[in-house]
Amino acid sequence: MAGNSGVVGVLVAWLSVGRVSVLSAMEDSITFLHSSDWQLGMMRRFLGPDGQARWAQARLDAVMRIGDVAKQTGAAFVVVTGDVFEHNQVERQTILRACEALKRIEVPVVLLPGNHDALEPGSLWTSAQWTGHAPSHVMVVTDSKPIEILPGLEIVGAPWRSRRPLADPAAPGYAELPPAPEGTKRILLAHGQLTSLSGGMSDVPTIDQVALEAAVADGRLHYVGLGDRHSTTEVTERIWFSGTQEVTAPEETHPGNVLKVTLGADAIEVEPVRVGAWHMVEHHAELYDEESLAALEDWFAELPEKERTYVRLAADGSLPLPLLSRLDAMVDAQNEVFASVERWAKFWTVRPAPDAADLDALQLSGPARAAMEELRQALAGGDEGAGAALTLMHRLARDAG
Amino acid sequence: MRLHSLTLRNFRGVKDRSVSLPAIGTTVVVGDNEVGKSSLVEAFALVFELPDDSKAKRIADIQPVGQDVAPEVTVELTLGGRELTYTKRWLKNRATELAIVDPDGRRQSWTGREAHNEAERLFAENVDPVLWQTLMVSQGQSLVLPTPADAEPLITAVTAESGTPVDGASMPLVTAVEHEYLRYWTRGGRPTGEFAKSAQWVATAELTAAQALKAMDEVVADIRRAERLALDLEDLSGRLGEHLKSVEELRIRKKDTDEILLRRDSVRARAETARARLENHTRTRVERERLLAEVARFTEADAELAKRRTDAETVARKAAETVRAAEAALAEIVELKEERRGDVHEAERLVSKLADRAELDRLLVQQSELVDVRARIAAAGMVLDGVKVDDAVVAALEDARAKVVEARAALAAGVPEVSVRRVGAEVVLLSGTGLDAGAGVKVPGELEEDVQLLVSGELVVDVPGQVEVRVHAGGEAATLRSRLDEAVRLEKDLLKQARVKDLAAARELLRKADMVSAELQEARRTERSLTANGDPSERIALLCARLGISAATGEVEEDEPKPSGKQLPPVEDVPGQMSLFEEFEEDTFDFSDLVVPAMEGGDLGAAERALEDARAELAVAERLLSDAEFAAAQARKAADEDRSEAQQARARSELAEERLAAAVEALVAARAVLADEEVEGEEEKATAEVEAVLDELTAVQAQAHEAGADEAAGALNDALAVATRLQGERDVLRDSLRTTEGRLEQSGRDGLATRRDTAELELAAIRAEHEGLKRRADAARRVYETLGRHRAEAQTKYSEPLQTRIESLGRSVYGPSFKVWLDDDLAVAERELDGARLRVESLSTGAQEQLAIITRLAISHLVSTGEGSVPVIFDDALGWSDKGRLRDMGALLGRAGDHGQVIILTCMPERYEYVPRATFIKLEA
Repeated sequence: MAGNSGVVGVLVAWLSVGRVSVLSAMEDSITFLHSSDWQLGMMRRFLGPDGQARWAQARLDAVMRIGDVAKQTGAAFVVVTGDVFEHNQVERQTILRACEALKRIEVPVVLLPGNHDALEPGSLWTSAQWTGHAPSHVMVVTDSKPIEILPGLEIVGAPWRSRRPLADPAAPGYAELPPAPEGTKRILLAHGQLTSLSGGMSDVPTIDQVALEAAVADGRLHYVGLGDRHSTTEVTERIWFSGTQEVTAPEETHPGNVLKVTLGADAIEVEPVRVGAWHMVEHHAELYDEESLAALEDWFAELPEKERTYVRLAADGSLPLPLLSRLDAMVDAQNEVFASVERWAKFWTVRPAPDAADLDALQLSGPARAAMEELRQALAGGDEGAGAALTLMHRLARDAG
Repeated sequence: MRLHSLTLRNFRGVKDRSVSLPAIGTTVVVGDNEVGKSSLVEAFALVFELPDDSKAKRIADIQPVGQDVAPEVTVELTLGGRELTYTKRWLKNRATELAIVDPDGRRQSWTGREAHNEAERLFAENVDPVLWQTLMVSQGQSLVLPTPADAEPLITAVTAESGTPVDGASMPLVTAVEHEYLRYWTRGGRPTGEFAKSAQWVATAELTAAQALKAMDEVVADIRRAERLALDLEDLSGRLGEHLKSVEELRIRKKDTDEILLRRDSVRARAETARARLENHTRTRVERERLLAEVARFTEADAELAKRRTDAETVARKAAETVRAAEAALAEIVELKEERRGDVHEAERLVSKLADRAELDRLLVQQSELVDVRARIAAAGMVLDGVKVDDAVVAALEDARAKVVEARAALAAGVPEVSVRRVGAEVVLLSGTGLDAGAGVKVPGELEEDVQLLVSGELVVDVPGQVEVRVHAGGEAATLRSRLDEAVRLEKDLLKQARVKDLAAARELLRKADMVSAELQEARRTERSLTANGDPSERIALLCARLGISAATGEVEEDEPKPSGKQLPPVEDVPGQMSLFEEFEEDTFDFSDLVVPAMEGGDLGAAERALEDARAELAVAERLLSDAEFAAAQARKAADEDRSEAQQARARSELAEERLAAAVEALVAARAVLADEEVEGEEEKATAEVEAVLDELTAVQAQAHEAGADEAAGALNDALAVATRLQGERDVLRDSLRTTEGRLEQSGRDGLATRRDTAELELAAIRAEHEGLKRRADAARRVYETLGRHRAEAQTKYSEPLQTRIESLGRSVYGPSFKVWLDDDLAVAERELDGARLRVESLSTGAQEQLAIITRLAISHLVSTGEGSVPVIFDDALGWSDKGRLRDMGALLGRAGDHGQVIILTCMPERYEYVPRATFIKLEA
């Protein structure tokens, strides 16, 4: 990007004037924040329109909280290692709101294009929508030339130029680099899965962890900030995935953090600071009687911050018809309370188990009783449709009675 | 419930009447109109329904008109095992009294409102209103088929018998199930409401999502394309740069070799000029040689052709002479032939004349015969004209004769026949009228001999002075006489017409006429044979004209214009002949004047032979002529050919002369330019010049080859072409990349990924909503169908007891093929008889009424054993049945009494005379 040196100049000037204390601290250590995978513009179908809107706002709120953390920790700048946006073709509103959120971070912000927002043709980063609205203290890494963001502190980045890189996506950032000059600290910003963590499942080239560690060991790099993994992960003392600022899936183990990195002359300190507010929970329930149903009710009751929690619920077992109705009612009600409660269709195998007492209690006779009995037998024979019909008939009979 | 008695006082038209009813069996209450049969039913209803102080109009209506009296009803009945006596009086002295005897014999009584309330309570408790209404058939309602589904006693009975509980309690469930089903499905099973709408929303959302996805796919494709284009462009730009360097090297090398090439081109141009000059000299030499040879050849040919021309002209002249000789000979022979042809014509004229003369002679003989024959025909015709008798006339005469004989015989038989015989000498005179002596014999006036007379009038036999005898025929005599006279007169008239004296003469005359007629026919046959070839006279006239023969007299009177030949043959004896000759009036030929001279030298045979000879001579002459013509033609043809040959020889000779002259002229012209002896020298000089310049060219080419001059230029051209191509490719790539990037920039502004994600999000939400709805809809349908099926089965089973009863009763009326089907309300919907199944609405009035009665009796039978049984009451029925059906229905009504109380009110007791064991109660006015 042609404007990069200009932006760097602005940043350095800004740091020199506005953050004199930080500059003076450079002699010993420097603190900055590391975040990644904001994926602004992301949608989650299980949330529903209302939940989706609140969750999208939550993700921006978390960005703004990073600004708060920067202020609190005295961080000199913030780096975001990839996937700031969900896609290069996000709507204008998302870009403008992101720019507004970035303005709430009062220190310089360095953004690295990742696989979601790669610096490919038609990239968001080169669009007028971005360049026209991006705050002046925000810089996008467009090549791998070292940026001296502060005297004695270099940032090198490996931006994604395509969503399908042909080789180690981090390598362009450091492979050709000589060791850092004496007294200069160097931070690598990269995005991608580590060979060691991908389990060989990645369909794009992975980052060579061994080479990366070697670069750290031989003094070419002093901190490696990685993105792409949504859970905060320490690879080595100086190699970290910050994880997403706000949870995106129940599978994520430690989402919702920003890393506070303090780089000293020889030491480094990395500390996750929580900025996320949402929870995504997966729960599996065994349901076979009133007690187990009550246990589920208790489980729901105990969850905190329900309005910001998505529950993916798996269940199996079988329930008498009244309990089945109660389960349906419970899940429906919780869905209103929580951000979303989703029956996990793949793992939802609760069957109605009508017993004679259920049917007797309805005091049905004649054809109604015979019809219900037929449905009960069909269900016993494995007819799933009969279960739903039986449950419905049970409810109608109960209400009619 | 059983009714025991009803007592009415001051109730409509009834002053005071009590009717007792047997507790079991069929009772027929008979009464004329207006005696109060229907009042019994009305009274029973009112006594339970309205309290004694009721102001209802129905109460006012039952008070007898114009009487200030109190209507009163007393009813005795068994209700729920209790014996009730219940009396009520309205309007005046109002009172209600109820006395009850319990099954255990305990007695209780109430009065006033309490009595009414207690009675009402007991009635409501023990009598099902639906059943009561069903089994009590008011006047005029007998056709209405009962719909007893809500009659509790019936339901109890049916349930008990069928073992199928009536699902009355589950009706709310049925309604709820149906309501739930109709939320999602139409009755026809098509999705409806929210469910149907959600399916549409899914389809719409799918379309939107697919479109958004497609748009995004296009963006991704554009990104790939742009990446590829950028790579290609970079690669191509590199290659182009490299290539342009090598182009520059080639350009320098070429500049060095261009000088050698310029020199080579100059030598090459000079060599071309020398070669052209040499070719020019060589052409001049060859041309000169050709001209010399041509002049020599043409000179020789010219001499040869001149000689041939002279020879040919000689031959042609000789041939012309030969032609002239042949044509002279031909002229002679033509003349000879004309002479011979004249001879033949002369001989032919003579033969013709002789032949005409011979024919004329023959025709004259024939004409003479013809005249004779025509005379005979005329004579015979005259004879036949005079004869007036023919076969018909003779037959008429014979008939007339027979009638005369017959009349005479009749007269003889019908009148006195008087024989007068002279016996003395006295004169005996005979006179009188109507006398007949027979067969035309005249009656003598005086008797001379014996005479027999027929007397049709009066006969007077007078012996003068002595005696006078008068005989009168009398009777029919006058008539018989007149008939005879008429027959005789008729015969005479016929004879007169035939101009004969009697029948025999007529017969003779007829025979003669036949003979003349035969002769006439013979003569006409002869005439026809003579004129078969036309009338000879015409031919004679023609031949005379040809031969120049004419009338000898030659003198023709000027004042007598009648033409000759008009003289007629004698006709005096041949009447009627004139008409034959009248045909000749226009014929002017006069035979009488015809003079036929003798023929000179007239031997026809000799003449014919002379003709044959002359013709033979002519044939010879014609053959000679033919030969001479052939010879002349041959000579002319040979002469033509020779003349043509001579002309050609002359033409060829003249042509050769011209060509020779031209060749000589060309040679002279060429020599004027360059003399013969200089031609070869010039050519040799040019050859030497060419050789010299070619040596120079070889040297300079070797130099160019050594320097690689030609390859340098080619290589530079090739390299420039490649550079141009590469630049073109690079421009295309650059344009494509710009276009693609432009598109991508636009799509970035459109937020297509967000759109796609939003669309997919909405689709997922709508789909989840729809799947939920579908699960509920399927469940609702499953429940609806399952319950419906079970209800239908139950309905069938449930209606069975009533159906069986109706069919059992109906078969006693209609026979074993009778079947019915009931609907949900347990009403009869269809009936089958003898295999024909019909809706009840389609049945006849009588059949509908019978079915309504049978159904009520079946219901009564079903409920008879239960507590809730009520009497069956028919206020007039069976008004639509014929006598046969009345018998069967009567038997049925009688049997119905075996199980309960059947009460029939009627003014037509004869309808019920077949009801066995019925109690008849007569209501008197």
